[in-house]
Amino acid sequence: MNTLTIAWISLPFLIGFIIYLLPRLDKYLALATTIISLAYSLLLFSQSSPITLNLLDNYGVKLVADQLSAYFILTNALVTMAVILYNWESSKTAFFYAQAIILHGSINSVFVCEDFISVYVALEVISIAAFLVIAYPRSDRSLWVALRYLFISNVAMLFYLIGAVLVYKANNSFAFAGLKGAPPEALALIFMGLLVKGGIFVSGLWLPMTHSESETSVSALMSGVVVKAGIFPLLRCALILEDLDPLIRLLGVLTAIFGVSYAVFEKDSKRMLAFHTISQLGFILAAPVVSGFYTLTHGLVKSCLFLLAGVLPSRNFKELQQQSIPNSLWIALVVASFSISGFPLLSGFGAKALTMKNLVPWQEIMINLVAVGTAISFAKFVFLPHAGGESKQKLTIGFWIAIILLLATLFLSNAVYVEAYNLPNLIKALAVIGAGWLLYLVVFKKLSLKLSRVWEQFDHLIGMMSITLVLLFWIVLA
Amino acid sequence: MTIPLLELFVFATVLCGFLGIFLKKNLIMKIIAMDVMSTGVIAYYVVISSRDGLFTPILGTVRQQNYADPVPQAVILTAIVIGFSIQALMLVGVMKLAKDNPTLDSAEIEKNNTP
Repeated sequence: MNTLTIAWISLPFLIGFIIYLLPRLDKYLALATTIISLAYSLLLFSQSSPITLNLLDNYGVKLVADQLSAYFILTNALVTMAVILYNWESSKTAFFYAQAIILHGSINSVFVCEDFISVYVALEVISIAAFLVIAYPRSDRSLWVALRYLFISNVAMLFYLIGAVLVYKANNSFAFAGLKGAPPEALALIFMGLLVKGGIFVSGLWLPMTHSESETSVSALMSGVVVKAGIFPLLRCALILEDLDPLIRLLGVLTAIFGVSYAVFEKDSKRMLAFHTISQLGFILAAPVVSGFYTLTHGLVKSCLFLLAGVLPSRNFKELQQQSIPNSLWIALVVASFSISGFPLLSGFGAKALTMKNLVPWQEIMINLVAVGTAISFAKFVFLPHAGGESKQKLTIGFWIAIILLLATLFLSNAVYVEAYNLPNLIKALAVIGAGWLLYLVVFKKLSLKLSRVWEQFDHLIGMMSITLVLLFWIVLA
Repeated sequence: MTIPLLELFVFATVLCGFLGIFLKKNLIMKIIAMDVMSTGVIAYYVVISSRDGLFTPILGTVRQQNYADPVPQAVILTAIVIGFSIQALMLVGVMKLAKDNPTLDSAEIEKNNTP
């Protein structure tokens, strides 16, 4: 299994380069790589004990693959697979597939790392690969969005590096566990880097524009898996060190509230999805123990929604309400929206129930409010007018295979937590959705409040980093 | 008392770079400020690795006691390479942007490319 793990980590990078050499096989090679990742994650689920690989003497450079990693890897494999299928009949060149697979590989490696330096390297490779896929259309806007993304994540990672060496200074080891003996400033610096990278709370304000202005398939990739690479190390730290658990839970709740309060007012479908990603990242952090399942359902449903939003006739909800969308598209949208709102029969329900069960009491009421907010946000999709007829944009077979793959997995992964199906949970889920829809129809549908985008300007984003740093330092010292 | 002084300089460099990133208006200057910041971070790794000594950690015939710690140096080499490639990528991006709209003012570029 150890050899297999190493082979699996290096494979995507190798394939990435081979795609350049054999550009005709690009899609097939890329698809094969994601299938291998899928198989590996399933194999990992069947392992009873975690796989540990000590790479470098005793400086704490090591890899650990366990059940939590398996969920994240499965998400990554499925989302990348769906994106490749979505682009099957497009005119994307081998360059795109090569970068997508390198991105896939670097995300995979974050999910098995257990020390700060390996995580750093993997996160930086993600930044570079993500920059290249965002800038793929070569338009001015895509270049600016990509540049902004790379700039912000690189600055955050520089702070992270200072934190990493402080951990080394205290323990002579880069392992996550060393955070315990490290000075508070190390913790603040490392967390600041990861919060920015993962799009958590106010440091996540770079995320809406990056995710909404990218191409459809890139948005799906970014929202589905790339941000998860930023929060995985946070979850790992919270699970290894008991002391950090309350901090991560607090950040989770704050992020969930922050993201959803933007999402309910948003009038642009892709921006709404992006803000909603922030709020869902909060859900994942709110209960670190069961974060794997939530990540899986969120990754699948969000990439599916981004792919669907890409083929809608307009991005503006006001315009969408004026025209009817084809029934087939509407059904897919409704299934995905139901899953994310936590409707029974779809795995979003199980994931929400499992997360709720693992909350500490003070979190519960706020997370429930956020769940209502989610239902409000997605009522915007559910109540779109629909009719028979064809879509104006031609929908390819690859598109439908991708959507069906994602939605079918959402049904199947119900099996992870079947115990969720009891009466109180069912009533609660329906009540939350009912309340959300009612609020949407009565209040939010007519409301036209436009939230300022000033805070998303580049200089403010960088400035916000210093504020986050001070806040974190303050919390850690307290 | 040499090390604290060195650390002070290193952190001053990091801070200058960081301030430059949002105080400078020109996009190229922002990127250079980021480079200053990363130089500071790299220097900090070197300072940390020279805590116990300054000698190159290579085994030779003459036994030295005060070797420098090789691990942070090895680690920061990777970071230098990554930083360099990111810098190169960003400059190429800026070149392309500046060719299409003849300005390097970041606020201007941002205004043109934000919906």
